[in-house]
Amino acid sequence: MVSGATPRSAIRRAMMAVLGAFVIANASAADAQPAQHMHGTAGAKPARPELGTSAAFAPDGVLYAVTKDGQHVLLHRSADDGRNWEAPVVVNAEPEQISADGENRPKLAFDADGAALVSWTRPLAKRFTGEIRFARADDRRHFTAPVTVHRDRREITHRFESLAVTGAGKVVLAWIDKRDLELAQAANRDYRGAAIYAAISDDGGRSFRAEQKIADHSCECCRIAITGDTDGLPLLMWRHVFEPNERDHAVVKLGADGAPGKVARATVDRWRIDACPHHGPSLAVAPDGTRHAVWFNEKDGEGRVFYGRLKDGRVDGQRALGGERAAHADIATAGRHVAIVWKEFDGERTLLRAEMSVDGGATFSARALTATGGVSDQPRVIRRGDALFAFWRTENEGMRGYWLE
Amino acid sequence: MKIRHIVAVLSWCIAAASDATEFQALDRAAAARIVTPSSHAVPTIVALWSAECVHCKKNLKLFAEMVKADRRFRLVTVAVEPQFAGLAEPLDLLAVPGQRFAYGAESPEALGYALDPKWRGELPRTIFFDGKGGKTALSGVVTEATVRSSLGLQTNP
Repeated sequence: MVSGATPRSAIRRAMMAVLGAFVIANASAADAQPAQHMHGTAGAKPARPELGTSAAFAPDGVLYAVTKDGQHVLLHRSADDGRNWEAPVVVNAEPEQISADGENRPKLAFDADGAALVSWTRPLAKRFTGEIRFARADDRRHFTAPVTVHRDRREITHRFESLAVTGAGKVVLAWIDKRDLELAQAANRDYRGAAIYAAISDDGGRSFRAEQKIADHSCECCRIAITGDTDGLPLLMWRHVFEPNERDHAVVKLGADGAPGKVARATVDRWRIDACPHHGPSLAVAPDGTRHAVWFNEKDGEGRVFYGRLKDGRVDGQRALGGERAAHADIATAGRHVAIVWKEFDGERTLLRAEMSVDGGATFSARALTATGGVSDQPRVIRRGDALFAFWRTENEGMRGYWLE
Repeated sequence: MKIRHIVAVLSWCIAAASDATEFQALDRAAAARIVTPSSHAVPTIVALWSAECVHCKKNLKLFAEMVKADRRFRLVTVAVEPQFAGLAEPLDLLAVPGQRFAYGAESPEALGYALDPKWRGELPRTIFFDGKGGKTALSGVVTEATVRSSLGLQTNP
């Protein structure tokens, strides 16, 4: 950097170069005004609320949602499909840490008898660690004290849980678990990614069988999709890390006892990367057995949200959804109807978009549902009987729903 | 500019930069400036990371070591989430130098778009500036050789 000329001019030149770097550094800092300095203080809350929310219709057709408020999970009820919400019920009477941002959110499902089932991840003190928590309310108002679902109680990763009640009445909780990674690291062995573990309840969540490993080598922080197959048994889909580092997706069916069948590759986009996409899939099974899926991957150098039908290790009808910035799609079916929702930033606003099919996914029609200028959660599509419903929580507009007709 | 003036301005700059370990809230205007090549007169790494990202610390460790060993380039870190108690811990544990930003109140989509319209949220994401108007963005864990070539620094210091 310093060369030639006299020593004095060389010193001056060097100092000017350093000065230039400092001015740039501090100018960009000053430019960030009114960027206040943010001091981390114990107990300080995030600068904005964590919007991670789940919604579901109860067997009686009433819409419910679960959110996080500080160290409590709240259950909200709407008698008019999301136009108005009643005062919420506290799920966990004792406060605790709760994950509800990005790929994390409290989950909600209903047992056949109408009981509300709620799960969430409780982060522990050590980074990347957590426990899977679960509570049940027969009357949707008075919840049992939360339990930790897994027997393994080490302060390691048990996070990113998903909850479902399948057709056979099983309550399924599946999560990302790093006990196998920890063992490998202790033995100085390599281990790709994390693992998927699941626990099954045969009695509506009153008790859970001991958790079982579903698969080694999942990606570390993408939400897991669970749905019921046509026979009522659980199907799981997640972002996997195939050798050497292909972050594609895998699918597996669980038996009635929760034991996994053969893990199959579900997508073949071959995104080779050592990174956290923070972008999990969604899966829905039609009555004819067709497995409709949506997922995010980078393919041919471009990151896109895809739709496709998973069939015997291949994907039928794979295509990109929406524009270049489509993200966090969700999918559901009702008879021959298939609905997909996703959000998409247009440079100024975040749009909620949908595609609907009335012919089992052969053809789709697109629809723009709404937009927000602020922060938003991932959208969901949920079902009531034969009808499908888009649900989206935004910071500015709150929790809203849109019938997909 | 005389040397004593340069020294005076430099002293001020060093004082101003001494609290570089504090996060500054990133808004869209600041994001746009950070990723404008002409803002960077020296080779600069802009490292996007988050507390949730298990792969990010590999890059942060590498960048921190490289910046400390080679004063020809700068490091700026951007946490792609709002500041919270404990956010600085991964940076402090690795003694990551340089200016620190964390997302401000605007939507993550808007801030991410301002930083890099091609970026889809995967982390780590790193934007390299060679200090001569060149810019390269890469996702995932990178090697030292990739960092050097992306910064236009082909040789060790």
